[in-house]
Amino acid sequence: MNYLSLKLNKFYSYNPRFEREKHLLVPIVLIILLFTVIAFRAPQLFSNNGIGGAIIIIAPLILAALALTPIALVGRGGVDLSVGPLIGFINVSLVSWLVGNGYTSPFLVVSYVLGAGILYQVIVAAIIIYVRVSPIIVTLSGYLVLTGVNLTIMNRPSGFSPEWMFNWGYGGEILSPIFFILSFMIIIWFLFSRTVFYQQILLTGADERMAFASGINTVATRFGAHIMAGIFAGMAAFTYTALISSGDPTQGNTYTLAAITAMVLGGTSPAGGIGGGLGSILGSINMYMISYVLATFNFGNVSGFVTQASTGVYLQFHYLLIVL
Amino acid sequence: MKKNNLFIYIKEKIQGQNILLALLLLIVLVSIGALIVPGFSSSISIRSMLLLAAFLGLASLGQTLCALLGGIDLSIPYIIGSANILLASLLNMGLLPILAIIIILVCGIIVGLINGLLSYRLQGQSIVVTLGVGFIVVGISQIFTSSGVYGGNVLTQVPQWIRNMSSFGGSTFGFPLPPVVFVWLFISIIMVTIMSRTLFGRSFYAVGGNKRASSRILISEFKIWNLAYAMSGFMSAMTGMILLGFSGGGYVGVGDPYLFTTIAAVVIGGTSLLGGQGGYGSTVVGALVLTVLTSLLVGLGLSYAMQQSVFGLLIIPMVALYARSPHIRDQI
Repeated sequence: MNYLSLKLNKFYSYNPRFEREKHLLVPIVLIILLFTVIAFRAPQLFSNNGIGGAIIIIAPLILAALALTPIALVGRGGVDLSVGPLIGFINVSLVSWLVGNGYTSPFLVVSYVLGAGILYQVIVAAIIIYVRVSPIIVTLSGYLVLTGVNLTIMNRPSGFSPEWMFNWGYGGEILSPIFFILSFMIIIWFLFSRTVFYQQILLTGADERMAFASGINTVATRFGAHIMAGIFAGMAAFTYTALISSGDPTQGNTYTLAAITAMVLGGTSPAGGIGGGLGSILGSINMYMISYVLATFNFGNVSGFVTQASTGVYLQFHYLLIVL
Repeated sequence: MKKNNLFIYIKEKIQGQNILLALLLLIVLVSIGALIVPGFSSSISIRSMLLLAAFLGLASLGQTLCALLGGIDLSIPYIIGSANILLASLLNMGLLPILAIIIILVCGIIVGLINGLLSYRLQGQSIVVTLGVGFIVVGISQIFTSSGVYGGNVLTQVPQWIRNMSSFGGSTFGFPLPPVVFVWLFISIIMVTIMSRTLFGRSFYAVGGNKRASSRILISEFKIWNLAYAMSGFMSAMTGMILLGFSGGGYVGVGDPYLFTTIAAVVIGGTSLLGGQGGYGSTVVGALVLTVLTSLLVGLGLSYAMQQSVFGLLIIPMVALYARSPHIRDQI
């Protein structure tokens, strides 16, 4: 460790609260920077329409990143690679099994998305805990299985979302239904992060052996973390369905890499124990704004790759800051 | 009692020989295929299987080395795609093919080294680090080749000898197999020999098995780690260029199927992602298993989507057979 970081560490360690929220430093600096740039280059984002549209697009990403967070926090290098296909699975099965057969009551739809998310994550957690295979392999396997299943349920984008959801995807105003759902889920996250159970997730992730030796029920903790992940993945799929108003078997997969990037940009370490939900939320907003800023420059037909490359650069920059 | 002892003896013998399981699986798959899929054992079908296995096997070499150290390299598909379009566009610029190939191989090594250097200090996070590097590489190479790109495609005239190298109709000194299969065989033999017979090769297992112990016997973890990633970059660049001969035109997404199949080949062969166990011989078998299984599933009329699902379902039981971590109460 070099002199600068020693000095910084000394500064932080005066206050234990700083020590715990240290991972938020980079995302906060980045978000201020991006807000400034956008204020100059694309002020239209801050209009009623702009913010409304941004919320609709960003909601699935935030919820997916929040779904990854408890699994990363609980440790063992748990990056949930299957979150994208899971969102896709809930989306296509909702559209073709429920809506396709005329079951469209809001209560049924919401309980289905939550139930499917939780059920899947419980299965994954059970395999991780009882078969004792590393999480990355289990979620990789889940990625492949669900990708195949999605394409079998629906071989190309088709179908409709429930009728009452049709006009949710326009985003002409800030206080849209998606806004309230997103706010509700974020409030749930913050209530969740105040619980003892959340502390146990952090402890298990930071040092599983020590947590076990201190009498924490690591098995229940891991199951709990995955159940939280399932709830958020289910709601991510719900908002995603509202966004595209139909079923799409392949586009959901893109959320895997996007959500992992957002989570890491938010300072949550896949190694476990460090990070939190606020970081993932900021990371997702940063991701969106990066692509928004880049869209204001004219890169022609390579703009998608400029966005991808710059996301990569931010990731590495972030890591360099941690390492130095 | 005696029977029980024999059982334990056999179990001890098999332990650590995960390649046997994969070999068994390969034999079973080939027999099933030959029995129920007509034309499975024809020379055309065997030729195409060997060709596809060669691509996968070459791409998985670096992944094997990284996995032996407990790391993972997700930049492989992006390097493959970048090498593919870069070679096409360098050829378009009128560069000598051999010069273009050397430039791209060097670039591959450099990218691999960057991967290694960045992920060395953050070994728990090598997944995201390498993924980020992959994003950068594919972005930069797209921007570099943007003049001739149409939706990720670079049109070019591929020289005949590169085409012969890896196209389906290629032949080696009159023998009806494309040279890339022999290149793969050659590299495999050298690789397996180095990994099992030399001090250098064994030091990969030492670092993967126990970092502290290996540093006590003066094996530099830093050197080995970076070498593994550099090798991975080199092999990915090579695979990308060979794939140009196969497809005949540059396409940046050509590496995408290799994102997870390289890991699947490594894991199914019997190399644990936890490090210290397995080897390239296992990965060769793993690549063959995956390719034979694909042909079998295609022969049975399964769609590409369902093949993915079968791969996914296969991975967990294979890993559960040899790479279970001990119970937490045994780790204290």
